[in-house]
Amino acid sequence: MVIATSAYASELERIDEEIAALEAETAAGPVDVVKATAAASRGYQRATLTGDLTALCGVERAIDAAMARFGPWPDLCVLKGNVASTLHRVADARRALELAPGVAEHMPGRAMLADLHREEGRYEDALRGYRDILSDEPTWDTLARLADLTFKLGDSDAAEDLYAAAVDELSAKQMRSYAWVELQWGRMDVSRGRHDRAMEHYARANAAYAGYWLVDEHVARLLVARGDLEGAAAYLESVGRGEVHYLHHLVDFYADVREDGPEAVRWARKDLALRPNAFTRAALAWALYRAGRRDESLDAIAAALESGLRDPGILAKAATIHRAAGAATPRAPARSCFGSPRA
Amino acid sequence: MADHNDPNAVNSIFSDIDVSAADLYDIFGFASDDAEGGEKVYIALTFAPMPEAGVFDTDMLYRHRMSAHARAVPPSKQDWSLDGLLKYFDAAKDTYLGDLKPSEIRVNVGQDQRASVNFTGFPGASFSTEIALNEVTTVQTPDGHSIKAYLGGRDDAFFNDLPGFFRSINYAPQFYHVPHSMTEARELPIPKTLLELEGNDLFNFDPANPNLGRGEKKPLPTGPLTWNGDRFAKDADGNYRFVYSGKDAQAGRNINTIALEIPLAYITRSPEKERIVSTWGESWVLKAANKIETSPGHPPWLEKPLAAVRGARQDEELQRYKLVDTDGQPFADAALSEREDSRQLGASNFWLAPTFIKRLAHLGWGFGPSISALGLPSSFDHDDSPVSVHRTYPSAIAAFPRTRKTIFQELNMPDDSWNPKGLNIPLRRPFEIFVPNVCAIDMYKTGTWPFGRRLEDQVATRFLALFLDHGAQLDGKKINVETLNDPALWESAPIAPKTPPNPIANDKEFLPEFPYLAEPW
Repeated sequence: MVIATSAYASELERIDEEIAALEAETAAGPVDVVKATAAASRGYQRATLTGDLTALCGVERAIDAAMARFGPWPDLCVLKGNVASTLHRVADARRALELAPGVAEHMPGRAMLADLHREEGRYEDALRGYRDILSDEPTWDTLARLADLTFKLGDSDAAEDLYAAAVDELSAKQMRSYAWVELQWGRMDVSRGRHDRAMEHYARANAAYAGYWLVDEHVARLLVARGDLEGAAAYLESVGRGEVHYLHHLVDFYADVREDGPEAVRWARKDLALRPNAFTRAALAWALYRAGRRDESLDAIAAALESGLRDPGILAKAATIHRAAGAATPRAPARSCFGSPRA
Repeated sequence: MADHNDPNAVNSIFSDIDVSAADLYDIFGFASDDAEGGEKVYIALTFAPMPEAGVFDTDMLYRHRMSAHARAVPPSKQDWSLDGLLKYFDAAKDTYLGDLKPSEIRVNVGQDQRASVNFTGFPGASFSTEIALNEVTTVQTPDGHSIKAYLGGRDDAFFNDLPGFFRSINYAPQFYHVPHSMTEARELPIPKTLLELEGNDLFNFDPANPNLGRGEKKPLPTGPLTWNGDRFAKDADGNYRFVYSGKDAQAGRNINTIALEIPLAYITRSPEKERIVSTWGESWVLKAANKIETSPGHPPWLEKPLAAVRGARQDEELQRYKLVDTDGQPFADAALSEREDSRQLGASNFWLAPTFIKRLAHLGWGFGPSISALGLPSSFDHDDSPVSVHRTYPSAIAAFPRTRKTIFQELNMPDDSWNPKGLNIPLRRPFEIFVPNVCAIDMYKTGTWPFGRRLEDQVATRFLALFLDHGAQLDGKKINVETLNDPALWESAPIAPKTPPNPIANDKEFLPEFPYLAEPW
């Protein structure tokens, strides 16, 4: 059970209240582009805060509907680009920024363009983009973006300074953002083998924004990096509190590390009950496959593929399950919000 | 409203930004009428009532900074040159950033809503005390002075037609939902003006939408956000249409305040000589990293060497906070700093001097022709333009010739009441008022603006008087800072509505005794 007083739970509750209020307003009277943008924006916030990327498909539909009605309102274009970028659909994100004149020249558009350069491997362009933004406005998020890229390009000392500068920009009114930067900083330390330092960052993140599943996920990964697989599973079980984010890690752990099919199925069913989507159906199929229950596994993977999702991980699982059952490999679906063949 | 209008990242009057306790509204300062036991200075910093009036945000730290000094020597009346002006700014900078060591009163409030108040840098003694909110407290200093303090909620002493001001500068977020990704669509490239422009449909008063900009907004139109007309609008009676309504948009609103009445002899050892008390306020918010408990064996600064070096010049407590807002002169931020975060420099705003000159020229091209159209003499050289013009300048050198008189002219006072002892003290000039960005309280005077700021001063209208020619006369009387606040002037002007731009008095009467600010609503 989620601790009701945690910062994460409180913020989620606030967003849900705002969504409910916007829905009530929408039902009661005329909707303008500002309300439509606010509703889509809250949906995006909720999806990213909870890590429920499948919900982004609904958000994208809401954005498209609003744009069809009101035209390419600049904030809607940025939001559409954000959805596409979050789903790693680089070409769609670029197209979104081009829908209204000037969007790509303003701060959110410039940051997204730099992100897209990075996604496409144009690191010099990305670096230049981040630095240009910082010369205009030293915001914590651009500092954190630049820190991450700087580290990946090999300059960990400079990345340290940038993370420090990002943290220094954040106030007591931005504790979730602070926790997020601490997690990124900690991840860098994990990559450098500085596990104790990473744990200190994670502890600060947890103290800043209690109840955040992302912190627990990072702690578990750190335990795995230390080679403490049992500890990671025990940690996830102990902090699970019924939150969906822990369950898929436990499914993976029991299915692929312990190869304990029945235990994996147990966690997969819990996850599916809370989050019935293509990913959880595929995870259940995989757990059933590990448990040797092939017919049930085939049914579950078929249900996952019915969603139209074109996810490489799911397709790989489907292929393995079908091969093991002696069935023909299923064909990939044509298009979904998670990716287009042209993207 | 030194910055009801200074929409930096927290400013609440810009409705796309949440109200924040860091949003400083005004600083008032004047020589107290109560001279019993010696001269006293009244200083009140007001800010957004968050989380509510009478309750302070515990993440905030507020600073009242002040320094008593002798009067600075301005350029001579004959030297109206840019060079002379910049030399004056340089000399003032050296004083403020060099020799001057301002004293300060620092306030933060704990979870129990008791205020911790620290007095530091005063010649008498530094000390700390703890006081309750929402009641008048007398604090005894170690050297025997008594300081009155009131920290808590009160009525907002600012009375102003803010929507009128925003209409005058074509500030879109007051009237329209401006996309966050269109940061340039704020002050639209339309001439600033006191009179409605013919065909300026984006900002002219619309009888069909009387509350537009007064709580109601529309989505920003997608069409051109410009104006292509060539004259001021007139109604069927031939009157110009005023962008101001004279209505008090702040009526019924509360603020939180830190108000103090301090003996001058506590601020300076030479109260006979150092009779200008320059004061300004600052709001600081706790840094995220300092809101949480950290491992004692691994302080954050170990991983933040650059931040630590930057912070070395600040004291230990301030390193835990981040400066958000400053407040000294009314309109120094709103009208002159163009509301940018990076310009929240308080008394250290010297490097903005060229920006002020350029901005005054930009405003002058808007307000100057409006003033002339009404038959009033303008201090701004606009080449007799028949209508307001949108013009910006790349450099202070280019802008300066236009603004010379506006910057250098002495601002007349309406009568002699500001100078009760009839002393030979020069009138103030705009360049002295806005740089540095402090409220300079003249202890020889009543402290009415620009010799301080009294609660009853209509500073928004007085600011507009900068663009009047104070060397001229109107009906046999010298133009002065109160000229535009005179209802009789508007009664006879070819304008509708016939009202001074802003209300002439607060919505609630001020109190005759400390803390002077009216009770909260």
